[in-house]
Amino acid sequence: MAKNAEIDINQRARPVEKFNFFQDQRVRSAFYQIITLAIVGWLGWYLFTNTTENLAARGMSTGFSFLGSAAGFDTDFKLIEYTPGIGTYGDIFIIGALNTLFISFLAIVVSTFFGFILGVMRLSDNWLVSKVTLAYIEIFRNIPLLIQIVFWYIGVFSLLPMVRKTIDISFGSEMVLLNNRGLYMATPVYGELFWVTAVAMVVAVIAVFLMRRKAHKLQDESGEQTPILLRSLLILTVLPGIAFALTGTPLTWDMPVLEGFNFVGGTTLPPSFLALLLALSIYHSAQIAESVRAGILSVNRGQHDAAMAIGLKPGRVMALVIIPQAMPAIVPPMISQWMNTVKNSSLAIAIGYADIVSLFMQTGLNQAGHAVEMVGMTMAFYMFISLSISWLLNIYNKRVQLVER
Amino acid sequence: MAIITLTKTPTRPAPLSETSMLGWMRKSLFSSWFNGALTIFTLYIIYITLQGVYIWGFADATFVADNRRACYDISLTGACWAGVIDWMDNIFYGRYPREDIWRIDLGGLLLILWMAPMWMRKVKGKIWIGVTVVTFYPFLAGYLFAGGDKGLFMQLMIAAALVALPANVINMLLGLFKDQSLGQVLQGFVAKFSRDEKVQRNLLLAVVALSLVIAFVLQSQWQEVAVSWTKWGGLFLTLAIAGIGIACSLPGGILLALGRRSKLPIIRILSTGFIEIFRSVPLITVLFMATTMFPLFMPEGFVLNKLTQVIIAVCLFNACYMAETVRAGLQAIPKGQYEGAHTIGLGYWGTMGFVIMPQALKYMIPNIVGNFIGLLKDTTLVSIIGLFDLLGMLRSISKDVPWLGLHKEPLIFGAIVFFIFCFSMSKYSRHLEAKLETSNKN
Repeated sequence: MAKNAEIDINQRARPVEKFNFFQDQRVRSAFYQIITLAIVGWLGWYLFTNTTENLAARGMSTGFSFLGSAAGFDTDFKLIEYTPGIGTYGDIFIIGALNTLFISFLAIVVSTFFGFILGVMRLSDNWLVSKVTLAYIEIFRNIPLLIQIVFWYIGVFSLLPMVRKTIDISFGSEMVLLNNRGLYMATPVYGELFWVTAVAMVVAVIAVFLMRRKAHKLQDESGEQTPILLRSLLILTVLPGIAFALTGTPLTWDMPVLEGFNFVGGTTLPPSFLALLLALSIYHSAQIAESVRAGILSVNRGQHDAAMAIGLKPGRVMALVIIPQAMPAIVPPMISQWMNTVKNSSLAIAIGYADIVSLFMQTGLNQAGHAVEMVGMTMAFYMFISLSISWLLNIYNKRVQLVER
Repeated sequence: MAIITLTKTPTRPAPLSETSMLGWMRKSLFSSWFNGALTIFTLYIIYITLQGVYIWGFADATFVADNRRACYDISLTGACWAGVIDWMDNIFYGRYPREDIWRIDLGGLLLILWMAPMWMRKVKGKIWIGVTVVTFYPFLAGYLFAGGDKGLFMQLMIAAALVALPANVINMLLGLFKDQSLGQVLQGFVAKFSRDEKVQRNLLLAVVALSLVIAFVLQSQWQEVAVSWTKWGGLFLTLAIAGIGIACSLPGGILLALGRRSKLPIIRILSTGFIEIFRSVPLITVLFMATTMFPLFMPEGFVLNKLTQVIIAVCLFNACYMAETVRAGLQAIPKGQYEGAHTIGLGYWGTMGFVIMPQALKYMIPNIVGNFIGLLKDTTLVSIIGLFDLLGMLRSISKDVPWLGLHKEPLIFGAIVFFIFCFSMSKYSRHLEAKLETSNKN
């Protein structure tokens, strides 16, 4: 009997499987991968040859040398020096990229600020405030951004008074003016000795920072609170103020002045810029408010109750207990909203704000041809921004994890 | 004396402050002087806004006029809805031939009829309904809308749709009135003829084949006048692009998501790269690529119309977003499910198709609806590259001679239309989410 059993085991343990070419896991996976690679490679090669043939048939040149040739068109909004006819397509690319980044940055700052306020308002104890905020969020989240942009541009900023009936929105000082050609702002012109004031400002900021740290340390050690708000405001205003007065007020304003049919001087923001900024801020503040709300709700209710129990006021409960704990849940969706803001700023093309898509990829492409290179460069620009933002997100996630464990 | 009372203390009604309107107001509107001030301030803002909207939009608005000037003659301070009303057909159907509008309406009604059983609790076989809608309805509707000559593949698909649609309706009626599914009834029917499973299966196949043949013959008699895609427009075009986009991006997204989670490195890298590239660029650049670069990519003489280019771009773009939705759904499935499927001997596709996907799809539905909302909103971008979708139509009102310069009212009307669509869908997806959450806990 025992012998029989042994044979049985041996029979079972003997490797019965033969090497089956079609059933082997490794062969299969290699096969699938080679097939996929072949299809993708063939597709790429097919598209590439077609493109080169087509380009040759149409007599179009390829390569990036066009970036050095002069561009003959102008734009109404630029952050660097550029003269049409002398500036190159490379300059156009930089102007467009900077304009995209500029408006995205402003929109991100504004929408994040208001998004937080709205998110907190949405959770207000006041029923009416909460519902009004809900209505705001739902209305602006559910209307396509493009309609909002076009509406603000055509329906509001283009209907502002004409140049001759300009509105002064700086209470009679004529420093900030608004009409249907845009927003005109006075720009500061710094005198020779202005650096003294700047240094004084830096010193004041450092002093306030040190004072704050000292106050925090004192509170950590003894529990004593030192009110520093008034003192720091005093330092921040008086120190640079004295420096400014002693050096003989080295600051003048470059005012927008009506000359002929238009305003000259100062800084001008075109209506398309204002409309895009407003629409992006409103739309994304509603989106961010939703993630702020979700983040705050993810914090255990007990945290709120405990904070109330130790006698903190509602505002401080939010600021000191709830928000810091909600941050890890708020920040990742918020950062992806920032990314969306950058991408959505490309809708500028509908109203003609000179961002990278409308300036480089549309106007530039119409003038210079080079569709493949220009669309490719624009996409590469967005990919670069996207990669940078996800890198930022990864750093944040790692930091949060380290704090937690 | 005993301190314990043996009689039950009668229950007291809740204090007035908790139940009355005044009590509620005190608690949630005027709990402190600050809150009170806030309430009054908010009320004031609501009053100002609503009053402005009412006066502009209704009280002073003009609903009937021949042109914009006539609008202003009637009222200067109100909206001129007459222009929007005058263009209403264009806004909904674009420049589709007026005598053929019934085709669009019929297409919409068929979709509703086909999809309706999904929301009926008694009807069975919902997965089949979903699959047939996604695979066959687009061809039926596509022919209904476009008309013209049918290729053989198109004819086959239309025949299949013509079989699937009545089958679906019968299934719905059976479910509603007899609590049965069409499959059960058919099985009972063939069981009467023979006990042998093989014979039963052959009989079933014969029934399906016969109905397919009948449908094929029927559809070959059916001929519609061709309507060029350039005539498509308005809300119809918006919904068509979004609908095709979601129907294509679902299978595409599932494949890409599986590729991204695959163990095979080359497939994983390719899928990840594809997804990330499309997700990091704005849709408008993809649309531009489709319209300016697509002609360069294709061999000489190969011409695609703009609408097809746009739809391909939208499908590719949305498939990448869908892939992330699917991936999130796949990640929510515990590992035990994969291991369980392996132990009963299922291979990769068996595991995915029979075990993982059906569960994951259930959790994905709210996000898929969210994805559809995003796609619907993004569809407005096609107006930038010159298609006359809803927004494109609305903007061309202001270029129509009688309504020259009428911008605000059409845009607001479009905003309302989109709001109704998107808001109701997002409400629905949230309702689904809540439903799934509770069923998960039980």
